[in-house]
Amino acid sequence: MSLSQRQLALLLIAPGLALVAALFLYPLCFSLISAFTDPDGGFSLQAFAKAYELYSGDIFFTVVIVVTSCALTALVAVAIAGTLTLGENPWIVGTLRALYRWPLFIPFIVAAQCMRTFLAKNGLMNNTFVSLGLMEPLQAVSYLDWRGIIATFVWKQTPFVALLLAGALAALDRATLEAGRNLGASRLRVLIELALPQVLPTLLVALVLSFVTMLSVLSVPMMVAGSQPTMLTVDMAFRINAYGDYATANALGVITYLISAGAAILYLRHGMTKETAS
Amino acid sequence: MRILTIACSLAALTAASPVYAQTLNVASAGDQNMVDYVKDYLGPLFEKSHPGVKVVSVGTGPGDAGSQKIYEKLDAQKGAGASDFDVVVIHQKAAGTMVKEGLLAKYTDKVDTAKLVSSETAKNALGSDVSGYVMPMFQSQTALAYNADMLKSPPNNFVELKEWVNKNPKQFGYNGIKGGMSGVAFVAGWVYAFGGDAGKLIAGPYDAAEKARWDKAFAELKDFNKNVVITPGNAGTLDMLNRGEIAMGPVWVDMFYSWQADGKLPPNMKLKLAAPGMPGQPMYYAVPEKSAQQKLASEFIALATSPQVQADGIVKKFNWYPGIDAKNLEGKLDKAAWDKLFTDITPTDLAANAKPFPIAPYFNDILEGYEKKVAN
Repeated sequence: MSLSQRQLALLLIAPGLALVAALFLYPLCFSLISAFTDPDGGFSLQAFAKAYELYSGDIFFTVVIVVTSCALTALVAVAIAGTLTLGENPWIVGTLRALYRWPLFIPFIVAAQCMRTFLAKNGLMNNTFVSLGLMEPLQAVSYLDWRGIIATFVWKQTPFVALLLAGALAALDRATLEAGRNLGASRLRVLIELALPQVLPTLLVALVLSFVTMLSVLSVPMMVAGSQPTMLTVDMAFRINAYGDYATANALGVITYLISAGAAILYLRHGMTKETAS
Repeated sequence: MRILTIACSLAALTAASPVYAQTLNVASAGDQNMVDYVKDYLGPLFEKSHPGVKVVSVGTGPGDAGSQKIYEKLDAQKGAGASDFDVVVIHQKAAGTMVKEGLLAKYTDKVDTAKLVSSETAKNALGSDVSGYVMPMFQSQTALAYNADMLKSPPNNFVELKEWVNKNPKQFGYNGIKGGMSGVAFVAGWVYAFGGDAGKLIAGPYDAAEKARWDKAFAELKDFNKNVVITPGNAGTLDMLNRGEIAMGPVWVDMFYSWQADGKLPPNMKLKLAAPGMPGQPMYYAVPEKSAQQKLASEFIALATSPQVQADGIVKKFNWYPGIDAKNLEGKLDKAAWDKLFTDITPTDLAANAKPFPIAPYFNDILEGYEKKVAN
């Protein structure tokens, strides 16, 4: 008996498909159902009402944090990738190339622990400024709030975005960039007007992936900032740990899905246009 | 051939690992120090007196979250033959639920040291009757830690604290309610002070209308929060005290003393238990109903609650208040170790101002009221 090509293909993807179904689709459906179920087992939006009543501020806070972090990450990553591609000082380019990937290898929780002592009011950063005479001790403020979360996210995600972006920039046809330079455009202008538009899809993909990653991190908001306001991951954990209330936690989860769905639509639409183009 | 190789290497592996007649699995909810306590101190002690027994200590995470994990595991294994855990160390809130759902075994009548415990918490866990099912491992207490150089006379009660914070903005810090129990304890203390009848919240019975009377207390707490620093976690408060960023904040007494002993807090830090009081809680030793090692588990708990172990391990090494009645520790502990535990907070303070947490339904109402009226 021999299998047809088609049957063989199905057989080959079956283990993968089963994994996705068991480890992703099943829990997803389970949490969706739980979010829309009231304590008596009927359909209800009660969990969402509660989620909104208690955590509307945190939902807004989460979106602001993640969007701001993405914007800043993009800015810094473009600066790094641009310097790596168009930089003319070999010393600067070499140092940057050696250093910029390091945060990639550091887990979020370790980064958060470092930031906790680095960004504190009397932490390493402020103490350094004070001892350098750049700041009076009384001017020191604590960054262990929304600013600390953003700083940690940007620090952690920038190398990832920069890595993808630098790869895309390196693959560009140098001739167009050099033509621009020859015609007298500054390096900044070449980067913004010639190089970036060509690698925009890559930047977008990298940012969408960062967006979803940041949305799902629990350790950073928990360790870096106090809990008022805080991000949705902390609220979900609290809902389960303090009350054993899975319905509201799942409702918050659904709200998180919706936020990341916004990003996923961007990602898919991009993939679609690429496929129709090719 | 290949199967033979695999079989041989498997056999070699089994032979290489030491063989124990019995394994006792101890699961602790709580901070790492509690896991270490069993792993480094209590476990080896028990193994010495019970040759052939291996004690395996696992942690399930700090706070009620850790107990919730133990509860979920035991609940899931309800239908199974035997549970993975033989001894569990759990918080009050989970203990009540687990007794109600029949997940725990009644064992204290088999343990001699049960006679040494007379505290109310051994019978009543946040309103649930748990007598017979639990033995307190230790008592823990929250209090206000303050920098004695900056603050000569600490506030005696919550009203004075409120005035002090108004005059000294951003000098008081606590961790809200999502970052650990010291913040939760402070909020409970606030409701005891300004929310009406503290005795009713502690003893019950539950009345769902009671929470409407806390609105004013929560509104004042929201104002109060404008002048305080919200710290990241129990350790976050201690960190900020250590770096001099805040002058006062609620902490766990045992963490405070341990940090001070390690040099992570300056010696000028002191403790104050302000009236009408802040909550403390015991951790409980309990035996799951489905444990296959009931007898061994009871013996383990008997050792853990013996006066000598309570004196050396609980009080001296880890700075907790003993789980069994303190008078049984007389003669087992040198005076210095005893005095250290009661310098800042005297036994009289403890008797007057060490409160339990509110019963479970009020507890949840306080947390949710805080989320609704203070945090959002």
